[in-house]
Amino acid sequence: MCYNLYKMVYLDYAATTPLLPEVIKAMHEAELKYFANASALHTPGHLSHNLIEGCREILAEMVGADPSEIIFTSGATESNNTVIRTFEGHEIETSPLEHHSIIEAARVYKGAKKPKLYSYMLANNEIGDFLDLPDKKDGFLHSDLTQILGKIPVNVKKLGLDYATFSAHKIGGPVGVGALYVREGVPFKPLLIGGLQEKKRRGGTYNTVGISGFRRALESVKNKGNFKKYDKEVRNLRDTLAQRILKEIPGSSLNTNIEKGKSLPNILNASFKAAEGESIQLYLDAEGIIVSTGSACAAGDIRPSHVLMAKTGDAEVAHSSIRFSFGLENTMEDVDKVMEVLPGIVDRLQKVSTIGL
Amino acid sequence: MSTEGQDWVYSETVKDHFLNPRNFLMGDESKFDYDACGIVGNPICGDQMKMYIKVDKKSDKIKDIKWKTYGCASAIASTSALSEIAKGKTLDEALEITAEDIDEYLGKLPKHKFHCSILGHDALKDAINNYRKS
Repeated sequence: MCYNLYKMVYLDYAATTPLLPEVIKAMHEAELKYFANASALHTPGHLSHNLIEGCREILAEMVGADPSEIIFTSGATESNNTVIRTFEGHEIETSPLEHHSIIEAARVYKGAKKPKLYSYMLANNEIGDFLDLPDKKDGFLHSDLTQILGKIPVNVKKLGLDYATFSAHKIGGPVGVGALYVREGVPFKPLLIGGLQEKKRRGGTYNTVGISGFRRALESVKNKGNFKKYDKEVRNLRDTLAQRILKEIPGSSLNTNIEKGKSLPNILNASFKAAEGESIQLYLDAEGIIVSTGSACAAGDIRPSHVLMAKTGDAEVAHSSIRFSFGLENTMEDVDKVMEVLPGIVDRLQKVSTIGL
Repeated sequence: MSTEGQDWVYSETVKDHFLNPRNFLMGDESKFDYDACGIVGNPICGDQMKMYIKVDKKSDKIKDIKWKTYGCASAIASTSALSEIAKGKTLDEALEITAEDIDEYLGKLPKHKFHCSILGHDALKDAINNYRKS
């Protein structure tokens, strides 16, 4: 199986997930059978069209939307940019924990006009914490649900959302495919102007193969009982790692609120005093354990993660942070492997550090 | 320089100095009988380095050198490399060591890493100045 090609312990699922074997199969089949342009009226074109509409229906049903309210995009960044740009010149309020594709787009497009747009993610990608959605009053509310989809059940209507962002590659689907929920009747301005695709809401030839992969990944979420697996099995792995880190590693602290109902079950962000995040990440990498960090060094920036800064207010804590994000392929053996080497790595970095414990 | 075919973000020399750092001071600094020490950087910025030197009074040469670093892989590797470059040099020679020398020795760091992670030579200068003041 592709996942274990390098015999690694992969704990960076929040960054991207390996393609599910059934997704690879579905996409390969689509490459051969559904290559025709889905906008064409001929039979192969119509078959491609049906494949895409099937995906739209599955996604709509999963998130409580009408299929006509779902637009396919190239991914979460495009979905986020589309919503923000729709409110060009308007007041835009974002949570401090938003992804750069929200924060940077809002910086470029925001103005003073009403109505106002609120953009608040439901769960953060770096720490996994849930956020409270704001009272949108007479404005509009967008939520980036990239990390939520497939992990916990969600309903856009019950949440009172006007717009929501989704991505395929966080649930075992391909990179380059995403979707945007746009509630019936709310303002909308296409980002890509072109043909009649997506009812003139997003130009560009349909990415049939990519969408076939998204569709298969969504079907797996539904058919394999993923919500329950995340809530029980994955949460157990995450919580076990959290408890073992706190118990076995001096100077460790959690940046994720692991109390039930406070965060996604698959993300754990922890900091290790006096040990720098990129160094921990690369020592783990040398042991075949794949994680990410909020340290500035790793991002090629001089500032550490804005999310860790917003959550902890402490640059040293942010520089020393590691994110472990789990997927359904992980096992307790992976947690054991991390804890076989992590205490030693942190101890060594702490002993060679200029900072005392 | 193309990084194609290279499975690690840094050069092999950087990797080697990161995974097997030379001359580092493990634990309590009082374990090393040094003549002077110097410091550079700030943990808030993500990197801090300390250099400890033992000087041969007769020859004015660095007889032994140790270091401590809080920082990323290239910060650790560059401090380790500096300790190798500086060992055995006279204090005047050691003052001449530049960030470019360290970068060259390591087989070049990625550009965005150069300024933030090669700081050790300033800590060494600080140590030499402290030695001469004492």
